[in-house]
Amino acid sequence: MSMRLTHLAVRHTDTPLVEVSDLHFEPGRPVTIVGESGSGKSLLAHAIMGTLAAELTASGNLTMDGQSYDLADRANRRRLWGRAMSLLPQEPGLALDPTMRAREQVAEGAGSFTTDRRAARRSAGTLLASLGLGQASAAFPHALSGGMAQRVAFAAATIGDAPVLIADEPSKGLDQQARAELAKLLKRHVDAGGSLLTITHDLDLARELAGDVLVMKDAHIVERGPARRVLTEPAHPYTRRLLAAEPANWTRPCAHAGAPADAGEPLISGEGLAKAFAGQQLFSDLSLTIRAGERVSLSGPSGSGKTTLGNVLLRLLPPDTGYVHHAEALHGGRLQKLYQDPAVAFPSRILLRDSFGDVIRRHRLEPGRLGKLMASLRLAPDLLHRMPGQVSGGELQRLAIIRSMLLEPALVFADEPTSRLDLITQQETLSCLMDQADRQQCALVLVTHDDALADAVTRRRIPLGPAENAIDRVKTAG
Amino acid sequence: MTPVAARTLLAVLALFALAGPLVWPEHAVQDLSRFLEPPSLAEPLGRDPLGRSVVARLAHATQLSLLMAVLCVATALLVGTLAGIVAAWRGGWVDTVLHGLSEAFIALPALLVVLIFSALANGDLWTLYIGLALAQWVEYFRMVRSRSGLVLAGPAVEAAWMLKLGPAHVLRRHLWPELRPLLATMATFGIGSSILALSTLGFVGVGIRPPTPELGLMLTEAFPYYHEAPWMSLAPVLVLTTILIGLLSLRRKEVRP
Repeated sequence: MSMRLTHLAVRHTDTPLVEVSDLHFEPGRPVTIVGESGSGKSLLAHAIMGTLAAELTASGNLTMDGQSYDLADRANRRRLWGRAMSLLPQEPGLALDPTMRAREQVAEGAGSFTTDRRAARRSAGTLLASLGLGQASAAFPHALSGGMAQRVAFAAATIGDAPVLIADEPSKGLDQQARAELAKLLKRHVDAGGSLLTITHDLDLARELAGDVLVMKDAHIVERGPARRVLTEPAHPYTRRLLAAEPANWTRPCAHAGAPADAGEPLISGEGLAKAFAGQQLFSDLSLTIRAGERVSLSGPSGSGKTTLGNVLLRLLPPDTGYVHHAEALHGGRLQKLYQDPAVAFPSRILLRDSFGDVIRRHRLEPGRLGKLMASLRLAPDLLHRMPGQVSGGELQRLAIIRSMLLEPALVFADEPTSRLDLITQQETLSCLMDQADRQQCALVLVTHDDALADAVTRRRIPLGPAENAIDRVKTAG
Repeated sequence: MTPVAARTLLAVLALFALAGPLVWPEHAVQDLSRFLEPPSLAEPLGRDPLGRSVVARLAHATQLSLLMAVLCVATALLVGTLAGIVAAWRGGWVDTVLHGLSEAFIALPALLVVLIFSALANGDLWTLYIGLALAQWVEYFRMVRSRSGLVLAGPAVEAAWMLKLGPAHVLRRHLWPELRPLLATMATFGIGSSILALSTLGFVGVGIRPPTPELGLMLTEAFPYYHEAPWMSLAPVLVLTTILIGLLSLRRKEVRP
């Protein structure tokens, strides 16, 4: 089924958020929209579905199967949902119903659900099994990993056999392996004759899907063409910047700065560490030392115990066996942590100004330092008059970097600090972090599932993997 | 009803409860010659079977109910909140003991707790106060304990510890802003239910002893005369309804950021 969009526009009062004059989808040819957060790419998906927030207005026309729909009317496409077009939502962990088992919620999307529940459940079970989730079909969403939850959401979105599938940031927070599986699923949908619109800031996913790529910036499409051409010989300067922001292409001279291993005095040393979680041995007999000024990354797929090892090293979690020693230099708040989601690392009902005020007062810091740091990280001073939830993810992560740097730490532990940010924001945020770490000569431990990022930023890598071979790999690396 | 209207209504009632007893101080003076006198300008609600001024009794009863309810809720809230925070913060055996205690209280019907206490010293005010407060602290304890547990285990508090911001900061910036809207909602409901419990006890005759005026007691006393003097039974009902409607409309939607 082919689909055509003409004169699509989304506005908030008078500000245009999306303006696209013509978009065409053909079965069997995936279309991918890339761009940074805030460029309007998610709004485009919601405008097509008719699920825009109430304060936004849409205009334009959608033609599907010879039938024409006015985009200003949200309700006229509702009967197409699940049957003719469906949306694979962002963050499946949040989109799935936490009180329903996987198979039950997938079954609700089946065409036969209202007439024959048993058949709907059966087809949901078959679909989940074909996605490799046979075991997990009776599980609740909280028991699923990010990649598994994404596959359940995929099953729910496709069980109604909708020919048009819109995937909104489907690879957010997924590791390489889960992303490869996701790409395979999306391609399967295309090969079966479906249309696919993927919205992502993940260029690797765009490459894997091939098809056409549209680059979006500030509400407009700045470049379009076959993925192979756009992502290798970009014509528009913005596309070039986007490609340069991929960690593999970083050319920062100080990317490999930091003291070489074995030079500084040991800050954290762990010996004979082991930890099991829910019956699964994450790591055992693990010994490692992190020295002053070092750049180390802990990498591995999700669920390999990176965060747990980090928390053990920070002494936030006790190890099952072994012990962790912290050097004198880390006492008094000179060991800091950055979180994957900065929004949960600040008190949520307190103005940022007060959160920072507490740190400055408690440690008798010079109040001017905050302003200086904010200026050097290109943050507007009036951000401080907002609540944490009112600041964008990239800005808030930079504020979290400032907060950790106020205490002149000897070691900063960054737990996936940019995995939820788009490429350009990731580069900006990490270069801020590296600059500050250089300036204060502090050691940095970066947890990431992105190997390219780990290579771009750190000198030494501690790979964690599926339990059995983790030990060997750690030994060879350490 | 809008919160503004509710606040006005409650303010009028509070004024009646505070100033009423000053305007009509003699709630216990009997004048049998004025048996069941109908309402007049001097006596807006007439006189009861013993010739006592109904409006004076109503004003005193409202004052007593409101004061007792506020006192009970304040005590329950303070004890429950402190115990909840301590249990969530310390964990371990402190949590086990406090949680077990709250479980025991939940197993008993609240009214039974109050009845046991009022049976200790029949109808003394302090037994009612202790009974009502004891029956109510549990819900504050359990709400505060579970909500604080979540907040204290969260990354924001972990970051605060790593920044060495100290327990005062955690209380003031993390726990209190999270608990305040919750406690405000629970307290408005709590005041309503305390006033109802108090008048229920008065109505069944195990609460405050006559001749102290009390809303539930006034209802019981007025019942035999509902045909001759309907205003006597309607007046306490009206006060109770107004207080409850006012309190229930006062609460705002709890907003999560």
